[in-house]
Amino acid sequence: MSDIHTPRIEELLPAYALDALEGEELRELEAHLAGGCEECDRQLALWQGDLEELAAAVPPVEPSEITRARVLRLAGAGAATPATPAPAAAPRRTSSWRMVAAASALLALALWGLLGQVRMEREVQRLESDRERLRRQVEVLSRQVGSMRTEVLQAKQDLQVLAGPGVQAVTLAGLGPSPGAKGRTYVNPSTHDALFYAFDLPALPADKTYQLWFIADGKPVPAGVFAVDPRGTASLRVQQVADVARIQAWAVTVEPRGGLPQPTGAMVLKGA
Amino acid sequence: MEERETEDRDLISRVAARDGTAFARLFEIHGSIALGLLLRILGRRSEAEEVLQEVFLQVWMQADRYDGVRSTPRGWILMLARSRALDRLRRRDSTRRREEAVGEEAGEAIPPVGTERLETLERKRQVTSALGILSPEQRRCIELAFYEGLTHTQIAERLEAPLGTVKSRILLGMNKLRQALSAQS
Repeated sequence: MSDIHTPRIEELLPAYALDALEGEELRELEAHLAGGCEECDRQLALWQGDLEELAAAVPPVEPSEITRARVLRLAGAGAATPATPAPAAAPRRTSSWRMVAAASALLALALWGLLGQVRMEREVQRLESDRERLRRQVEVLSRQVGSMRTEVLQAKQDLQVLAGPGVQAVTLAGLGPSPGAKGRTYVNPSTHDALFYAFDLPALPADKTYQLWFIADGKPVPAGVFAVDPRGTASLRVQQVADVARIQAWAVTVEPRGGLPQPTGAMVLKGA
Repeated sequence: MEERETEDRDLISRVAARDGTAFARLFEIHGSIALGLLLRILGRRSEAEEVLQEVFLQVWMQADRYDGVRSTPRGWILMLARSRALDRLRRRDSTRRREEAVGEEAGEAIPPVGTERLETLERKRQVTSALGILSPEQRRCIELAFYEGLTHTQIAERLEAPLGTVKSRILLGMNKLRQALSAQS
Protein backbone atom coordinates (compact mmCIF):
# COMPACT_ATOMS: atom_id res chain seq x y z
CA MET A 1 0.00 0.00 0.00
CA SER A 2 2.80 2.43 0.88
CA ASP A 3 4.35 1.87 -2.53
CA ILE A 4 1.49 3.72 -4.16
CA HIS A 5 1.97 7.46 -4.58
CA THR A 6 -1.11 9.13 -3.22
CA PRO A 7 -2.12 12.71 -2.38
CA ARG A 8 -2.06 11.74 1.28
CA ILE A 9 1.55 10.57 0.98
CA GLU A 10 2.39 13.84 -0.76
CA GLU A 11 0.85 15.79 2.10
CA LEU A 12 3.28 14.18 4.50
CA LEU A 13 6.30 15.47 2.59
CA PRO A 14 6.42 19.08 3.90
CA ALA A 15 6.30 17.93 7.52
CA TYR A 16 8.87 15.24 6.71
CA ALA A 17 11.19 17.85 5.23
CA LEU A 18 10.72 19.85 8.44
CA ASP A 19 11.45 16.76 10.59
CA ALA A 20 8.08 17.31 12.23
CA LEU A 21 6.68 13.98 11.12
CA GLU A 22 6.54 11.18 13.67
CA GLY A 23 5.01 7.89 14.60
CA GLU A 24 2.95 5.90 12.13
CA GLU A 25 3.00 8.66 9.48
CA LEU A 26 6.78 8.79 9.55
CA ARG A 27 7.11 5.02 9.21
CA GLU A 28 4.60 4.98 6.38
CA LEU A 29 6.37 7.70 4.41
CA GLU A 30 9.84 6.26 4.97
CA ALA A 31 8.62 2.89 3.76
CA HIS A 32 7.23 4.57 0.69
CA LEU A 33 10.44 6.51 0.00
CA ALA A 34 12.49 3.38 0.52
CA GLY A 35 10.50 1.87 -2.32
CA GLY A 36 12.04 4.44 -4.64
CA CYS A 37 9.25 6.91 -5.50
CA GLU A 38 10.75 9.36 -7.99
CA GLU A 39 7.89 11.80 -7.67
CA CYS A 40 8.28 11.94 -3.91
CA ASP A 41 12.04 12.39 -4.27
CA ARG A 42 11.45 15.25 -6.67
CA GLN A 43 8.91 16.91 -4.42
CA LEU A 44 10.96 16.34 -1.33
CA ALA A 45 13.90 18.06 -3.04
CA LEU A 46 11.59 21.02 -3.77
CA TRP A 47 10.45 21.22 -0.15
CA GLN A 48 14.04 21.04 1.00
CA GLY A 49 14.83 23.82 -1.44
CA ASP A 50 12.15 25.96 0.18
CA LEU A 51 13.56 25.23 3.60
CA GLU A 52 17.01 26.12 2.31
CA GLU A 53 15.61 29.51 1.37
CA LEU A 54 14.11 29.79 4.81
CA ALA A 55 17.42 28.88 6.41
CA ALA A 56 19.34 31.31 4.24
CA ALA A 57 16.96 34.14 5.10
CA VAL A 58 18.46 34.56 8.58
CA PRO A 59 20.75 37.54 9.07
CA PRO A 60 24.30 36.37 8.35
CA VAL A 61 26.82 36.59 11.17
CA GLU A 62 30.50 36.88 10.48
CA PRO A 63 32.43 34.09 12.21
CA SER A 64 35.08 35.24 14.66
CA GLU A 65 38.68 35.17 13.54
CA ILE A 66 39.32 32.31 15.96
CA THR A 67 36.58 30.18 14.41
CA ARG A 68 37.72 31.12 10.94
CA ALA A 69 41.29 30.19 11.71
CA ARG A 70 40.26 26.88 13.30
CA VAL A 71 38.01 25.94 10.41
CA LEU A 72 40.59 26.79 7.79
CA ARG A 73 43.24 24.95 9.74
CA LEU A 74 41.13 21.81 9.37
CA ALA A 75 42.10 21.63 5.75
CA GLY A 76 45.34 23.47 5.97
CA ALA A 77 43.46 25.91 3.81
CA GLY A 78 44.87 28.93 5.50
CA ALA A 79 48.24 28.26 3.95
CA ALA A 80 46.94 27.08 0.61
CA THR A 81 47.49 29.08 -2.51
CA PRO A 82 44.60 29.42 -4.94
CA ALA A 83 45.18 27.10 -7.90
CA THR A 84 43.31 29.42 -10.21
CA PRO A 85 42.70 33.16 -10.16
CA ALA A 86 39.63 33.86 -8.06
CA PRO A 87 36.51 35.10 -9.85
CA ALA A 88 36.25 38.87 -9.93
CA ALA A 89 33.03 39.45 -8.06
CA ALA A 90 32.90 36.98 -5.26
CA PRO A 91 36.20 36.27 -3.57
CA ARG A 92 36.75 39.66 -2.09
CA ARG A 93 36.24 38.32 1.39
CA THR A 94 38.69 35.48 0.88
CA SER A 95 41.41 37.59 -0.56
CA SER A 96 40.81 40.40 1.88
CA TRP A 97 40.94 37.91 4.70
CA ARG A 98 44.19 36.52 3.39
CA MET A 99 45.52 40.01 3.05
CA VAL A 100 44.48 40.76 6.61
CA ALA A 101 46.05 37.48 7.77
CA ALA A 102 49.23 38.19 5.87
CA ALA A 103 49.28 41.78 7.07
CA SER A 104 48.66 40.60 10.62
CA ALA A 105 51.51 38.13 10.33
CA LEU A 106 53.81 40.80 8.95
CA LEU A 107 52.67 43.22 11.60
CA ALA A 108 53.27 40.62 14.29
CA LEU A 109 56.70 39.95 12.84
CA ALA A 110 57.44 43.64 12.64
CA LEU A 111 56.20 44.16 16.19
CA TRP A 112 58.25 41.24 17.36
CA GLY A 113 61.30 42.68 15.66
CA LEU A 114 60.50 46.12 16.99
CA LEU A 115 60.04 44.81 20.50
CA GLY A 116 63.32 42.95 20.19
CA GLN A 117 65.02 46.12 18.99
CA VAL A 118 63.44 48.15 21.76
CA ARG A 119 64.56 45.56 24.30
CA MET A 120 68.08 45.62 22.89
CA GLU A 121 68.16 49.42 22.88
CA ARG A 122 66.98 49.44 26.49
CA GLU A 123 69.65 46.92 27.39
CA VAL A 124 72.30 49.01 25.68
CA GLN A 125 71.05 52.11 27.48
CA ARG A 126 71.06 50.24 30.77
CA LEU A 127 74.61 49.02 30.20
CA GLU A 128 75.76 52.50 29.18
CA SER A 129 74.11 53.92 32.26
CA ASP A 130 75.82 51.29 34.42
CA ARG A 131 79.14 52.01 32.80
CA GLU A 132 78.76 55.76 33.43
CA ARG A 133 77.74 55.13 37.04
CA LEU A 134 80.72 52.84 37.57
CA ARG A 135 83.00 55.34 35.90
CA ARG A 136 81.85 58.03 38.35
CA GLN A 137 82.33 55.66 41.27
CA VAL A 138 85.86 54.91 40.11
CA GLU A 139 86.54 58.66 39.90
CA VAL A 140 85.22 59.23 43.41
CA LEU A 141 87.20 56.32 44.79
CA SER A 142 90.31 57.46 42.96
CA ARG A 143 89.95 60.91 44.47
CA GLN A 144 89.41 59.38 47.88
CA VAL A 145 92.47 57.19 47.46
CA GLY A 146 94.50 60.19 46.29
CA SER A 147 93.24 62.24 49.18
CA MET A 148 93.98 59.48 51.68
CA ARG A 149 97.43 59.00 50.21
CA THR A 150 98.08 62.71 50.62
CA GLU A 151 96.80 62.57 54.17
CA VAL A 152 98.95 59.56 54.96
CA LEU A 153 101.96 61.29 53.48
CA GLN A 154 101.18 64.43 55.42
CA ALA A 155 100.63 62.46 58.59
CA LYS A 156 103.91 60.72 58.01
CA GLN A 157 105.66 64.04 57.58
CA ASP A 158 103.89 65.46 60.61
CA LEU A 159 104.94 62.42 62.54
CA GLN A 160 108.55 62.95 61.49
CA VAL A 161 108.32 66.50 62.85
CA LEU A 162 106.69 65.43 66.08
CA ALA A 163 108.82 62.34 66.60
CA GLY A 164 112.15 64.12 66.30
CA PRO A 165 114.37 64.54 69.36
CA GLY A 166 114.12 67.82 71.24
CA VAL A 167 110.87 68.93 69.72
CA GLN A 168 109.73 72.14 71.32
CA ALA A 169 106.06 72.70 71.97
CA VAL A 170 104.52 76.11 72.54
CA THR A 171 100.94 76.77 73.56
CA LEU A 172 99.14 79.86 72.28
CA ALA A 173 96.23 81.43 74.15
CA GLY A 174 93.30 83.46 72.82
CA LEU A 175 93.42 87.19 72.98
CA GLY A 176 90.97 90.09 72.56
CA PRO A 177 88.19 89.14 70.20
CA SER A 178 88.58 85.35 70.66
CA PRO A 179 89.60 84.67 74.24
CA GLY A 180 88.47 81.02 74.03
CA ALA A 181 90.74 80.18 71.12
CA LYS A 182 93.84 78.04 71.55
CA GLY A 183 96.87 77.16 69.52
CA ARG A 184 99.97 74.97 69.68
CA THR A 185 103.26 74.81 67.77
CA TYR A 186 105.77 72.01 67.53
CA VAL A 187 109.23 72.83 66.25
CA ASN A 188 111.75 70.19 65.25
CA PRO A 189 115.13 71.73 65.92
CA SER A 190 116.91 69.25 63.70
CA THR A 191 114.91 69.84 60.54
CA HIS A 192 113.69 73.37 61.26
CA ASP A 193 110.21 72.22 60.44
CA ALA A 194 107.29 73.30 62.58
CA LEU A 195 103.63 72.28 62.92
CA PHE A 196 100.91 74.66 64.04
CA TYR A 197 97.38 73.76 65.17
CA ALA A 198 94.60 76.21 65.99
CA PHE A 199 91.30 75.52 67.77
CA ASP A 200 88.09 77.50 68.28
CA LEU A 201 88.99 80.43 66.09
CA PRO A 202 86.04 82.22 64.49
CA ALA A 203 85.72 82.28 60.70
CA LEU A 204 86.83 85.50 59.05
CA PRO A 205 85.32 87.61 56.26
CA ALA A 206 86.47 86.67 52.73
CA ASP A 207 88.85 89.67 52.53
CA LYS A 208 90.64 88.71 55.77
CA THR A 209 92.99 85.91 56.73
CA TYR A 210 94.80 84.59 59.76
CA GLN A 211 98.55 84.90 59.62
CA LEU A 212 101.07 83.04 61.81
CA TRP A 213 104.25 84.69 63.01
CA PHE A 214 107.23 83.68 65.03
CA ILE A 215 109.25 86.34 66.84
CA ALA A 216 112.94 85.83 66.38
CA ASP A 217 115.51 88.28 67.57
CA GLY A 218 112.68 90.62 68.51
CA LYS A 219 111.27 90.77 65.03
CA PRO A 220 108.13 89.12 63.68
CA VAL A 221 108.78 86.69 60.85
CA PRO A 222 105.79 85.61 58.67
CA ALA A 223 105.21 81.80 58.90
CA GLY A 224 102.17 81.40 56.64
CA VAL A 225 98.48 82.25 56.29
CA PHE A 226 95.57 79.99 57.05
CA ALA A 227 91.78 79.81 57.27
CA VAL A 228 89.76 77.82 59.77
CA ASP A 229 87.29 75.07 58.98
CA PRO A 230 83.67 75.24 60.16
CA ARG A 231 84.70 73.78 63.50
CA GLY A 232 87.17 76.64 64.00
CA THR A 233 90.28 74.46 63.63
CA ALA A 234 93.25 74.76 61.31
CA SER A 235 96.69 73.29 60.81
CA LEU A 236 99.76 74.64 59.10
CA ARG A 237 103.12 73.19 58.26
CA VAL A 238 105.99 75.64 58.42
CA GLN A 239 109.36 75.01 56.94
CA GLN A 240 112.67 76.63 57.51
CA VAL A 241 111.86 78.24 60.80
CA ALA A 242 114.63 79.88 62.75
CA ASP A 243 116.64 78.07 65.39
CA VAL A 244 114.57 77.24 68.39
CA ALA A 245 116.90 79.19 70.59
CA ARG A 246 116.19 82.35 68.64
CA ILE A 247 112.39 82.02 68.69
CA GLN A 248 110.92 84.01 71.52
CA ALA A 249 107.24 83.70 70.81
CA TRP A 250 104.49 82.64 68.36
CA ALA A 251 101.51 84.81 67.43
CA VAL A 252 98.51 84.89 65.09
CA THR A 253 97.07 88.11 63.71
CA VAL A 254 94.18 89.01 61.44
CA GLU A 255 95.50 90.47 58.19
CA PRO A 256 94.21 91.37 54.72
CA ARG A 257 93.72 88.44 52.37
CA GLY A 258 97.06 87.05 51.18
CA GLY A 259 98.91 88.27 54.26
CA LEU A 260 101.54 90.91 54.79
CA PRO A 261 105.30 91.00 55.51
CA GLN A 262 104.67 92.79 58.79
CA PRO A 263 101.72 92.35 61.18
CA THR A 264 99.16 95.14 61.06
CA GLY A 265 95.96 93.65 62.44
CA ALA A 266 94.63 92.50 65.77
CA MET A 267 96.50 89.69 67.55
CA VAL A 268 94.17 86.75 68.34
CA LEU A 269 96.64 84.12 69.62
CA LYS A 270 99.95 84.40 71.41
CA GLY A 271 102.28 82.03 73.20
CA ALA A 272 105.88 81.78 74.23
CA MET B 1 21.33 26.90 -12.35
CA GLU B 2 22.57 30.07 -10.77
CA GLU B 3 26.17 31.16 -11.07
CA ARG B 4 26.51 30.80 -7.32
CA GLU B 5 25.30 27.24 -7.35
CA THR B 6 27.61 26.34 -10.23
CA GLU B 7 30.59 27.64 -8.33
CA ASP B 8 29.41 25.86 -5.18
CA ARG B 9 29.16 22.53 -6.95
CA ASP B 10 32.60 22.97 -8.40
CA LEU B 11 33.96 23.88 -4.97
CA ILE B 12 32.40 20.94 -3.22
CA SER B 13 33.78 18.46 -5.73
CA ARG B 14 37.19 20.02 -5.21
CA VAL B 15 36.77 19.78 -1.46
CA ALA B 16 35.98 16.10 -1.91
CA ALA B 17 39.35 15.89 -3.67
CA ARG B 18 40.97 17.49 -0.58
CA ASP B 19 41.43 20.93 -2.07
CA GLY B 20 42.04 23.22 0.90
CA THR B 21 41.68 26.39 -1.13
CA ALA B 22 38.24 25.34 -2.32
CA PHE B 23 37.30 24.55 1.26
CA ALA B 24 38.40 28.00 2.39
CA ARG B 25 36.37 29.55 -0.37
CA LEU B 26 33.31 27.49 0.54
CA PHE B 27 33.63 28.67 4.12
CA GLU B 28 33.97 32.27 3.05
CA ILE B 29 30.81 32.00 0.98
CA HIS B 30 28.60 30.09 3.39
CA GLY B 31 30.20 30.49 6.83
CA SER B 32 28.33 33.63 7.78
CA ILE B 33 24.91 32.34 6.69
CA ALA B 34 25.51 29.05 8.47
CA LEU B 35 26.54 30.92 11.60
CA GLY B 36 23.47 33.14 11.32
CA LEU B 37 21.30 30.04 11.21
CA LEU B 38 23.15 28.41 14.09
CA LEU B 39 22.77 31.52 16.18
CA ARG B 40 19.09 31.72 15.31
CA ILE B 41 18.63 28.16 16.57
CA LEU B 42 21.03 28.07 19.51
CA GLY B 43 20.85 31.65 20.72
CA ARG B 44 24.41 31.59 22.06
CA ARG B 45 27.23 33.00 20.02
CA SER B 46 30.00 30.87 21.50
CA GLU B 47 28.04 27.65 21.06
CA ALA B 48 27.04 28.65 17.53
CA GLU B 49 30.68 29.24 16.60
CA GLU B 50 31.61 25.89 18.10
CA VAL B 51 28.95 24.06 16.09
CA LEU B 52 30.00 25.96 12.97
CA GLN B 53 33.42 24.38 13.34
CA GLU B 54 31.82 20.95 13.64
CA VAL B 55 29.70 21.59 10.58
CA PHE B 56 32.63 22.55 8.42
CA LEU B 57 34.69 19.69 9.79
CA GLN B 58 31.88 17.47 8.55
CA VAL B 59 31.88 19.25 5.20
CA TRP B 60 35.62 18.67 4.90
CA MET B 61 35.36 15.02 5.93
CA GLN B 62 32.20 14.11 4.03
CA ALA B 63 32.19 16.24 0.91
CA ASP B 64 32.52 13.04 -1.11
CA ARG B 65 29.14 11.95 0.23
CA TYR B 66 27.38 15.08 -1.00
CA ASP B 67 24.47 14.13 -3.25
CA GLY B 68 23.97 16.81 -5.87
CA VAL B 69 20.56 15.46 -6.78
CA ARG B 70 19.03 15.86 -3.35
CA SER B 71 20.18 19.39 -2.56
CA THR B 72 22.37 22.28 -3.50
CA PRO B 73 25.72 22.59 -1.71
CA ARG B 74 24.36 25.53 0.25
CA GLY B 75 21.27 23.53 1.19
CA TRP B 76 23.47 20.61 2.25
CA ILE B 77 25.65 22.81 4.44
CA LEU B 78 22.70 24.64 5.98
CA MET B 79 20.83 21.43 6.69
CA LEU B 80 23.97 19.95 8.26
CA ALA B 81 24.13 23.06 10.40
CA ARG B 82 20.47 22.87 11.33
CA SER B 83 20.69 19.19 12.15
CA ARG B 84 23.72 19.63 14.38
CA ALA B 85 22.24 22.67 16.07
CA LEU B 86 18.98 20.84 16.78
CA ASP B 87 20.95 17.91 18.23
CA ARG B 88 22.68 20.38 20.49
CA LEU B 89 19.40 22.01 21.38
CA ARG B 90 17.78 18.76 22.33
CA ARG B 91 20.52 18.12 24.81
CA ARG B 92 19.85 21.37 26.53
CA ASP B 93 17.19 22.34 28.93
CA SER B 94 14.98 24.55 26.83
CA THR B 95 13.91 26.76 29.70
CA ARG B 96 17.50 27.51 30.65
CA ARG B 97 18.33 28.20 27.02
CA ARG B 98 15.67 30.83 26.82
CA GLU B 99 16.83 32.55 29.96
CA GLU B 100 20.46 32.59 28.94
CA ALA B 101 19.83 33.51 25.37
CA VAL B 102 18.05 36.72 26.29
CA GLY B 103 20.16 39.66 25.33
CA GLU B 104 22.78 37.67 23.51
CA GLU B 105 21.29 37.99 20.10
CA ALA B 106 20.80 41.72 20.08
CA GLY B 107 23.18 43.39 17.70
CA GLU B 108 25.03 40.23 16.79
CA ALA B 109 23.68 39.79 13.30
CA ILE B 110 26.10 41.67 11.13
CA PRO B 111 25.57 41.61 7.40
CA PRO B 112 28.81 40.78 5.64
CA VAL B 113 30.10 43.89 3.99
CA GLY B 114 30.26 43.93 0.25
CA THR B 115 30.18 40.18 -0.11
CA GLU B 116 26.54 39.38 -0.43
CA ARG B 117 25.16 39.69 -3.88
CA LEU B 118 22.14 41.80 -4.55
CA GLU B 119 20.30 38.73 -5.79
CA THR B 120 20.86 37.04 -2.45
CA LEU B 121 19.59 40.06 -0.60
CA GLU B 122 16.62 40.17 -2.89
CA ARG B 123 15.96 36.49 -2.31
CA LYS B 124 15.99 37.09 1.42
CA ARG B 125 13.54 39.89 1.02
CA GLN B 126 11.32 37.54 -0.95
CA VAL B 127 11.51 34.83 1.70
CA THR B 128 10.72 37.34 4.38
CA SER B 129 7.89 38.60 2.28
CA ALA B 130 6.67 35.03 1.67
CA LEU B 131 6.74 34.35 5.38
CA GLY B 132 4.72 37.48 5.79
CA ILE B 133 1.82 36.08 3.86
CA LEU B 134 1.50 33.17 6.29
CA SER B 135 -0.89 33.52 9.16
CA PRO B 136 0.90 34.06 12.48
CA GLU B 137 -0.21 30.59 13.56
CA GLN B 138 1.12 28.92 10.41
CA ARG B 139 4.37 30.78 10.68
CA ARG B 140 4.73 29.90 14.34
CA CYS B 141 4.22 26.20 13.67
CA ILE B 142 6.79 26.17 10.86
CA GLU B 143 9.30 28.11 12.93
CA LEU B 144 8.89 25.75 15.89
CA ALA B 145 9.55 22.79 13.62
CA PHE B 146 12.39 24.39 11.70
CA TYR B 147 14.28 26.33 14.36
CA GLU B 148 13.48 24.21 17.40
CA GLY B 149 13.14 20.79 15.82
CA LEU B 150 9.73 20.09 17.35
CA THR B 151 7.50 17.36 15.97
CA HIS B 152 3.79 17.72 15.29
CA THR B 153 2.92 16.46 18.75
CA GLN B 154 5.47 18.67 20.50
CA ILE B 155 4.24 21.74 18.65
CA ALA B 156 0.68 20.91 19.62
CA GLU B 157 1.72 20.64 23.24
CA ARG B 158 3.72 23.83 23.13
CA LEU B 159 0.90 25.80 21.54
CA GLU B 160 -1.81 23.90 23.37
CA ALA B 161 -3.49 23.35 20.02
CA PRO B 162 -5.14 20.21 18.59
CA LEU B 163 -2.71 17.92 16.73
CA GLY B 164 -4.79 17.99 13.56
CA THR B 165 -4.77 21.78 13.60
CA VAL B 166 -0.99 21.85 13.86
CA LYS B 167 -0.62 19.40 10.98
CA SER B 168 -2.86 21.43 8.73
CA ARG B 169 -1.19 24.71 9.70
CA ILE B 170 2.17 23.27 8.69
CA LEU B 171 0.85 21.80 5.47
CA LEU B 172 -0.97 24.98 4.48
CA GLY B 173 1.87 27.18 5.59
CA MET B 174 4.45 25.25 3.60
CA ASN B 175 2.25 25.33 0.53
CA LYS B 176 1.76 29.07 0.86
CA LEU B 177 5.50 29.51 1.22
CA ARG B 178 6.06 27.44 -1.90
CA GLN B 179 3.56 29.46 -3.88
CA ALA B 180 4.97 32.78 -2.76
CA LEU B 181 8.55 31.77 -3.55
CA SER B 182 7.54 30.30 -6.92
CA ALA B 183 5.61 33.42 -7.82
CA GLN B 184 8.53 35.64 -6.92
CA SER B 185 11.13 33.60 -8.75
